Amino acid sequence: MSTVNHHPESSMLVDFSAGNIATAPSICVSAHLHFCSQCRNELLRLDQVGSNLMSEVEPTEVGEHLFDSVMSQIDQLPKSDTAEVSSTCNMADSRYPLLVNKLINGSESVPKWRRLSRWLDVAQVTTGQNEYEVALHKICAGGKTPRHNHGGQEFTVVLKGSFSDEQAVYKEGDFLSCQPGDVHQPLGAQNGECICLSALAAPIKLSSPFGFLMQPWLRINPM
Amino acid sequence: MLGFTIKLVDQNEEPSTKTVLLSTEKRSDQWSMLLVSVAETRDRRAFSQLFSHFAPLLKSFAQASRHEGWFPGLSEDLVQEVMIKVWQKSASYNPEKASATTWIYTVARNCRIDMLRRKSNTQHLPLENEDFWHEADEDTPVSLMRQKRSEDKVQSCLARLPKEQDEILRKVYLEGKSHAEASNELGLPLGTVKSRVRLALQKMQILVAPEFRDEVL
Repeated sequence: MSTVNHHPESSMLVDFSAGNIATAPSICVSAHLHFCSQCRNELLRLDQVGSNLMSEVEPTEVGEHLFDSVMSQIDQLPKSDTAEVSSTCNMADSRYPLLVNKLINGSESVPKWRRLSRWLDVAQVTTGQNEYEVALHKICAGGKTPRHNHGGQEFTVVLKGSFSDEQAVYKEGDFLSCQPGDVHQPLGAQNGECICLSALAAPIKLSSPFGFLMQPWLRINPM
Repeated sequence: MLGFTIKLVDQNEEPSTKTVLLSTEKRSDQWSMLLVSVAETRDRRAFSQLFSHFAPLLKSFAQASRHEGWFPGLSEDLVQEVMIKVWQKSASYNPEKASATTWIYTVARNCRIDMLRRKSNTQHLPLENEDFWHEADEDTPVSLMRQKRSEDKVQSCLARLPKEQDEILRKVYLEGKSHAEASNELGLPLGTVKSRVRLALQKMQILVAPEFRDEVL
């Protein structure tokens, strides 16, 4: 767990702590936190900032009836929580963050691997928003993915295995943020497949000469 | 003579600072104890004391929100939702990890996001916002002390932040503006907003310079 080397920018953790980032990037930050105790501890302290600011506001009187209303709602609560996810899709993995497994198992349509190229599969998951496409990517061992250009922001967390690009090697738990205009070519590690979770804001552009052939497959498709 | 005067002032000031610290410590412990007794014995009196203290704060917190789609009419709904969650989830509260105030803040933030998400979602998301959060794992006695120290540090530093840093933190945490939105509103470059926040966090010793991170944690 201590091998995580790539973290979200601190401003992103602050926005996460304050609850100000969109669902899809939040999913990626949360998946990173599962692997990264350093960011979990930073987050706890950031939450202390929020709590201090909250407790210093001038209190506003609440309606007289409010307490009774809360108590009567409490009295009507069902005795136990039975909202467990029952189905398990074989794409889930006990070492993944719980939230990722919930996304996989709770998706309205069961996520399925779809081949993008010889080396790359993608499986979309449902996240109920339409700003980002959230998907799992599987790069096979030694796989070469197309060199691509990012039209919009993309956040990626490595869930299993590792891959590299021109900049670095990314291992389990590492968090990458690609800005519009960034170009990179991820390569799967030789020693096994690599599975990543990513949230992509806008279509990526392939920069290889035959990349246009894959363009239709890469159109953003939030669900 | 001058030295003597200074010494006298020091002596006078020290006890009063201590008293203030002691009383805040006691106060926060009181809420934590009440919360624990709600969890353990479903103590309704303790819950009503928590309610009297936190509900008005939560209402102000809700009213401070400037999220898109949020309106003041939702404030008491949020208060109710948070307090019901506090009752329901109190068993998961661990007083060794956070003060009751911090824990209730996280419940409030999560409820606020869930309410906004419920309003704006067109489709189904199989998650609740609390699924996004992990418990911090500093749970050894040494870390517990560190945790308390960091809460105190945050509190005392927040009170002394320069206005421009304080203003942005409030926008981010209370109004719910992202760094990017705050930069738009204040007419400041995004880099400036980020560096003001970063400075504030460094003062509170929340952000450790990356090269020292491993040593400290």
